[in-house]
Amino acid sequence: MSRVWAVAKNSFVSAMRMKTAIVFMLLLIVLLPIMSLTSTGDGTLKGRVQSFVSYGLGLTSFLLSILTIVVSCYTLSSDIKNKRIYMVVTKPIRRFELVLGKVLGVAVLDFLLLFVFSTIIYSLALEMHRFVKTSPEELAAVNNEFFTARMALKANYDEGVVSTRAEEAYKNLQSSGQLSEDKSKQVIMNELAEAARHSLYSAEPGGVVIWEFEKVKPADTNDSFFVRFKFDASNIPTDKLFYGVWYIGDYRQIKYGQDKVKTPIYTVARKDVMRMVHEFQVPADAVAADGYLAVVFYNELENNSTVIFSEEEGMEVLYKAGSFAENYALAVLIIFSRLVFFAVLGVSLTTWLGFPVAILICFVAFFTGVINGFITTSFDYMGNNMAILYQFTIKPFLWLLPKFDENYNINKYVIDARLIQSGFFAMAVVNLAIKSVLLLLASFIIFARRELAKIIV
Amino acid sequence: MTETNVIETFSLTKTFSDWWGRDRVIAVDNLNLKVRNNQVFGLLGPNGSGKTTILKMLLGLLHPTKGKVFVLGGDSKDPKISSQIGFLPEESYLYPYLNARETLDFYGRLFGLNSRVRKARIDVLLDMVGLSGMANRPIGTFSKGMSRRIGLAQALINDPKLLILDEPTSGLDPIGTRQIKDLIVELAKRGKTVLLSSHLLADAEEVCDRVAILYGGLVQREGKIEDLLEQKDKTQITTSVLNDRTIEQIKRIVEKDGGEIEIKPPMQKLESYFIDIVREAQQARKHTSGAVNRMEVSDTQRAAAMSDVLDKLVAAKIETGKTEKVESPAVVETEKVGTDYGVLNQLTQGSSLQQMPEPVEQFEKPKELSRQDEIKKNILDELTKPEGDQNE
Repeated sequence: MSRVWAVAKNSFVSAMRMKTAIVFMLLLIVLLPIMSLTSTGDGTLKGRVQSFVSYGLGLTSFLLSILTIVVSCYTLSSDIKNKRIYMVVTKPIRRFELVLGKVLGVAVLDFLLLFVFSTIIYSLALEMHRFVKTSPEELAAVNNEFFTARMALKANYDEGVVSTRAEEAYKNLQSSGQLSEDKSKQVIMNELAEAARHSLYSAEPGGVVIWEFEKVKPADTNDSFFVRFKFDASNIPTDKLFYGVWYIGDYRQIKYGQDKVKTPIYTVARKDVMRMVHEFQVPADAVAADGYLAVVFYNELENNSTVIFSEEEGMEVLYKAGSFAENYALAVLIIFSRLVFFAVLGVSLTTWLGFPVAILICFVAFFTGVINGFITTSFDYMGNNMAILYQFTIKPFLWLLPKFDENYNINKYVIDARLIQSGFFAMAVVNLAIKSVLLLLASFIIFARRELAKIIV
Repeated sequence: MTETNVIETFSLTKTFSDWWGRDRVIAVDNLNLKVRNNQVFGLLGPNGSGKTTILKMLLGLLHPTKGKVFVLGGDSKDPKISSQIGFLPEESYLYPYLNARETLDFYGRLFGLNSRVRKARIDVLLDMVGLSGMANRPIGTFSKGMSRRIGLAQALINDPKLLILDEPTSGLDPIGTRQIKDLIVELAKRGKTVLLSSHLLADAEEVCDRVAILYGGLVQREGKIEDLLEQKDKTQITTSVLNDRTIEQIKRIVEKDGGEIEIKPPMQKLESYFIDIVREAQQARKHTSGAVNRMEVSDTQRAAAMSDVLDKLVAAKIETGKTEKVESPAVVETEKVGTDYGVLNQLTQGSSLQQMPEPVEQFEKPKELSRQDEIKKNILDELTKPEGDQNE
């Protein structure tokens, strides 16, 4: 192990003295404080803090990824190219120890830089209320909705209701002779199911939408939880404002006509702008003892428009389930695991490729990771036509590529103060760890067999 | 006590293929090389004769196309074997951003030496190669010769049993060259084995016991230096300065026997003349930003100084228990004179050696070397006499 550390120390010193790391550090040192002063978000303190942390963490993660790729692709390939490897591999060090040492050196560099810069972002975010004039409400909002970690729950989805409604609609169309002759029954049923699903979460003027949640477990019943929603509408008024009344509590008490209301049902009347995310706070005692909770939206007649909530972002219930510091630390650790993955990728590739090719592949992997969802979807469409070929060629390759978008976009968790659950954390880290180990094993085999000397006669 | 081969190759062949896999160049052809323990073996040959390729195959940097290689009775890639090898490549490929001390520390760590041993050895080695004053300067700012000196220092940091030197004197000034030659002689006295490649024949002639002359990847001649170079039809007599009368008498005796004779004062070698000049400049304390070596006046003094350096080098012992068991570098403390046969036997009694068909001969190296050394010493004493004595 001492030899692995010797190599690690050497590649760490290399990155520091070759000024590569210094340039990136200077960039971050200059940019982060400027961003903390200039980011405004939606104008509120919460918006400012959100946009600063989002851009700060994003920029740090981006620059450190680039740095990792450059350093990891350079460290071993330059040793081979400049023949310094002759004087290293002829010492009592196994070749896999050399590869491990190189990865470790870059990982230590990443760890230190990430630790320093994530701490700077954290401290600046905590102190941002001092930079601007802040009302006590804004301070409370930022504490409740940003400096926390909340569990986010989506409503239960009743597929039975959807299929019943779709079948009813199909029968209606059939009886009235309005069925399209161009489409098969399956296609029509799919369309009708989609429409039924849509209708579950939309309300005509005077109508309601009901969401039901289970396993809502706020840590403290004296505390509160948050209802987070976003909606669209069929008719758009000039001010884009919609009026609605929200009922939050145990809906079963009304549905099954119980005499006495055991848990309180809260009523909230609001007017909100469409196509934006809104949140409001509700006391936690609205949740039934078994963790059941219903949220009902009543669409005011005067809106004169159907209000439509999307399946994805339409409705969530959030409640405090952890601390911001812990959540932030987990997010930073996930970023670190990505950097380690790139360190492994860079060093592994240079066990058999030169610097230019290796760095190109790393950048392709990095940018693919950022838009992985898009690429996977587009290939999946193609896959329908070339099933077997796709299954055994592109699909395994796509699996090997990292994924940083959609659900794996950890920025989303920190900004919306969503709890990074241990299961998700483990999945994100283990996924990259498995890929890293596979890459390392392949590189050990290749490097152990490779002729390191150039042929000179 | 049986004598063993430190390096042995069987039908070692290396061909280089083109992109299509067709053999293009035969760099080494059916080489059967044997380097015995405590031998200074020279691989000589013009550029491109395959010297470096052989060394790279011995060290596992290239894979043989055909044949087998045994170094210290095994594979040089095995850490137990490589921990006993010191290697200086044809150029010193060092990390330009590390300074001299950090460089040696890095290589010391790769050998698994603990910090106390590393520090002691680095001090001795930096002093030996004359770079103590530049220990904290980045290698990137060093001249080629200075880098070469650091390269030599790193090859010695593990107190190796076997030293493989590729063109050891290339890029060095005459003082550095002299020092390397002294070092090789001194290491041989301590029972080490040295394999060097060179095309500088004068250097090889001075230090090697045995040489192989390569051309086109094939060994053209191999043997002891004296056997190869001895002119059997001539006799050379070296004496102190003689007066004219004695010279006349000698001439008469030789001519009476029907022989031919040529009498003239011996020429000083340019190397020793150069070293004298530099030594005088050093004594006058003239400034230099380059390497500074203490140049002792006589051969004996120089040998004693080199011996002192090597004593200090091996004086730093490994603290057992601090290094890992398997990876322990097996740095063997060297006896001052004679071969460490015990360790070598242990190393070479592996299964791989049992395959070697060569019968083992009795090796008389130490005796032979001391005789050779004695001759050299006499000549050099003669050369370094005060000038007045040499002139008639």
